[in-house]
Amino acid sequence: MLFTTKVLAAFALTSAVAQAAIVTYNWNITYVMANPDGLFERRVIGVNGVFPPPPIEVTVNDTLVINVINQIDQPTSLHCHGLFQTGNNQMDGPSMVTQCPIPPGANFTYTIPIEQHGTYWIHGHHQGQYVDGLRAPLIIHNINETYQYDAEYTIAFADWYHDQHSVLLDQYLSIFNPSGAEPIPKSGLINQIPSATFNFVPGKTYRLRIINMSALAMFWFHIDGHEFEIIEVEGTDVEKYSTTAFHISAAQRYSVLVTARNDTSYNYVIHGDMDPMMFDSVPDDLVLNVTGTIVYNEASPLAPIETSDWPDFDDGSALVPVVAQDVTPQTVSYTLDAAFSILNDYINKATFNDITYVMPKVPTLHTVMSMGNLSSNPEVYGKFTHPYILNYNDEVEIIINNADAGNHPFHLHGHVFQVVGRGDGYYDGSTPYTYYNTTNPLRRDMIYVPSLTNAAIRFKANNPGVWFFHCHIEWHLQAGLAVTFIEAPDVMQKVLTIDPSHYEQCEALGIPAKGNAAGNEGLDMTGANVGPTDLPTGFTAKGIVALVFTIIAAILGLIVVVWYAGDDTKAIEEQVKKIKAKRALEGDAQ
Amino acid sequence: MGSVFSAPIFFIMFRETTEAAIIVSVLLSFISQVIIDDPALYRRLRWHVWIGVLIGLIISLIIGGAFIAVWNSVAKNVFQTSEELWEGSFALIACVMITVMALAMLKSQDMQEKWRGKLSQSMDNMDNKKGVGKFTRKYALLILPMITVLREGLEAMIFVGGVTFEEEPKAIPLAAICGLLAGALVGFIIYRGGNRLALHRFFVFSTCFLLVIAAGLFAKAINAYEMDKWNKIVGGDADDAGSYDPRGNVWALSYGNPNDPNAGFAAFCNSVVGWNNIASVGTIVGYIVYWFVVIASVIFLKFKNRRARANATPVHVDEKAATAHIEKTAAALA
Repeated sequence: MLFTTKVLAAFALTSAVAQAAIVTYNWNITYVMANPDGLFERRVIGVNGVFPPPPIEVTVNDTLVINVINQIDQPTSLHCHGLFQTGNNQMDGPSMVTQCPIPPGANFTYTIPIEQHGTYWIHGHHQGQYVDGLRAPLIIHNINETYQYDAEYTIAFADWYHDQHSVLLDQYLSIFNPSGAEPIPKSGLINQIPSATFNFVPGKTYRLRIINMSALAMFWFHIDGHEFEIIEVEGTDVEKYSTTAFHISAAQRYSVLVTARNDTSYNYVIHGDMDPMMFDSVPDDLVLNVTGTIVYNEASPLAPIETSDWPDFDDGSALVPVVAQDVTPQTVSYTLDAAFSILNDYINKATFNDITYVMPKVPTLHTVMSMGNLSSNPEVYGKFTHPYILNYNDEVEIIINNADAGNHPFHLHGHVFQVVGRGDGYYDGSTPYTYYNTTNPLRRDMIYVPSLTNAAIRFKANNPGVWFFHCHIEWHLQAGLAVTFIEAPDVMQKVLTIDPSHYEQCEALGIPAKGNAAGNEGLDMTGANVGPTDLPTGFTAKGIVALVFTIIAAILGLIVVVWYAGDDTKAIEEQVKKIKAKRALEGDAQ
Repeated sequence: MGSVFSAPIFFIMFRETTEAAIIVSVLLSFISQVIIDDPALYRRLRWHVWIGVLIGLIISLIIGGAFIAVWNSVAKNVFQTSEELWEGSFALIACVMITVMALAMLKSQDMQEKWRGKLSQSMDNMDNKKGVGKFTRKYALLILPMITVLREGLEAMIFVGGVTFEEEPKAIPLAAICGLLAGALVGFIIYRGGNRLALHRFFVFSTCFLLVIAAGLFAKAINAYEMDKWNKIVGGDADDAGSYDPRGNVWALSYGNPNDPNAGFAAFCNSVVGWNNIASVGTIVGYIVYWFVVIASVIFLKFKNRRARANATPVHVDEKAATAHIEKTAAALA
């Protein structure tokens, strides 16, 4: 009971702090017509009839309340990316993981105690709706920030498509796309508007919060004419790290500190160069280098544009958290092999350890809460949610092998993890892992694992809940590159309180609100959602039958040919006999 | 197609060389029947025949070789994008030609008889031509085989050209040379009047083999057309990715891929029977339909043949005309 008390006490403490305010946002999710790249007007998903959705700003210890009214014709849900949701798992957002999506026309309230600070974002977590525009920065101020600055700006990069996401998804997950080529964006955006400008006053220091809200693209960030230092990574303040450029992949966030120049004679360009390596091919009309402007004086000319040589550094070993936290030895270690292959639905799908993620019939959280003692049995969650049961306070290590030709940014809900090591190639466990030689590794919620390399992360399972772990390239998530961590299901049942409206919401959609992954009781998995598996590598029954028939046809043909030649054979045999007889006679005659 | 021995090319060269050798042996036997008393003249006329054959062979090899080289480089560059389409069309043409050739081989009960008839008629035609010059008369026994071999040789080169479009260059020389030698050997045996029964059986066997190869080519042609269609849908070279149209797929093995440089046996089977690790309803049905067409054709030929034999007139070999022709040539040389 001790752990429950701790969790409840923590919760109580959070809500008792006097300064805390309740910050309410009313979000009507609506369709809007918009043209953010100036190239093509299209239908997007906005908030309150406005696109882009305005950013959310709160301070630590606040309670964030988002009243959602779903006014589009699809179910929807919202996920505050990077928020721990301690004891609040049912507000995390991923559809069919922690909730049924919000039915069209219905409303749903997210009530989220803010227990951390930094740069985050909020986005749709049902069917890739965030790619159609349902995304916005979520800035959490600290009461006393670690670093001093005069003002701050948010620079949210995103790739942009002209087609509706559902249309592109049908093309991506199709038998006609055997190589699994992701749809290529039409442009890149800053803050989802046609042209982004940031006013700088000479001598002042600015904090730039940089977010990548893309479906796919990775941006290289650099600023002409200014030096900067990285000061925050996904909610973790770090010791100042100076670099001329860095890459930021989908869903990652950084804050940098920039000091403005002392004169206003020029304006300068901010760069977000999309890395062409993320795209299957680069069309001629795609502008990879997205730019914004730092404006000192409207009248000033633009300083000449600089190029960057894209210096790379290892985030895990280079960035040092200000609040130190030692590496704790792991009590349990899992290896996840990420790969892509054509499965027996003939579609190129993503797998972790040969299993592709398929949504269950009941949200996994609801299964935990309704299955009593069976909630610790991974069977009840179905094979294709790929469940991992974690015990409360396990020191969990995950080693990710990226066996694919592409680079992937992986995201863990509900936690930050320590980045404890990286390696080349495939880690098979036969030799000890080579960890960083550090006592205070970087903590973040996104790990970028380049192609054919591996990475090791560690976190403590002290947040009871169902936490999704997946590649944050939206196409890959929908191709099944995800697993579900079910952290302390027994504790979850004691600590989590799910409002009955969540269950009613399921029923409104015709989804079973409780039960195992198949919507049944106990271990009866009949009717569970089953995903595709490997293609057969040899002959199937129909193959053998076909082969036999071809051989029969050939043999018949040859028999007929020999039969045809039979007359001739006989004739020749006769002739040969005659000649022999003749010769014999001649021989006798002599 | 990674083997070093291309079976289709072997059989094409074998067939053509055999025909050429038969022509030589028939002419030589004509001469030996007619020129009995004059050994020097006999030898001279025999030389004419051999030289004529050799010149014809060399010219056809040169022209044919040049044709194949130019064709392969031009065609490969121009038709890169529709490579599969062209491979398919050539496989189809080769299939039809080889099938016709194989059945024709079967039809002539005695190739020697056929050529005796053909050559005697050619000599007749030469005689009847107006203004046949002195030169032509003198060297008739050189020109005739030369033209015949040239024609046969160019025919062979065109077959080879069509078939080599999809073969690897290193698979050609060995197969071509073996085909040449085998054909020469057969001609020699025929000339020496060897075991006719064994020879006939050998011809039947090679007809069977040619049909097996042609059946494989038909399946390969269908496969090439289907690959081309799939490439166009998928927008890339599906061959490299090993991808195929899942609709209508019958088998897709992870082993036995003839395009795999390590799968030598699979490549050999592909050459000989048209084996592929990916089969579709199209290729399977096509393969079976090919054999049914062959079966129907052979049965039809059989009954046509039996009716013809019943009303038989044997192949007309005008021995007198042939004799007269050779005597005239000998006289011109004297």
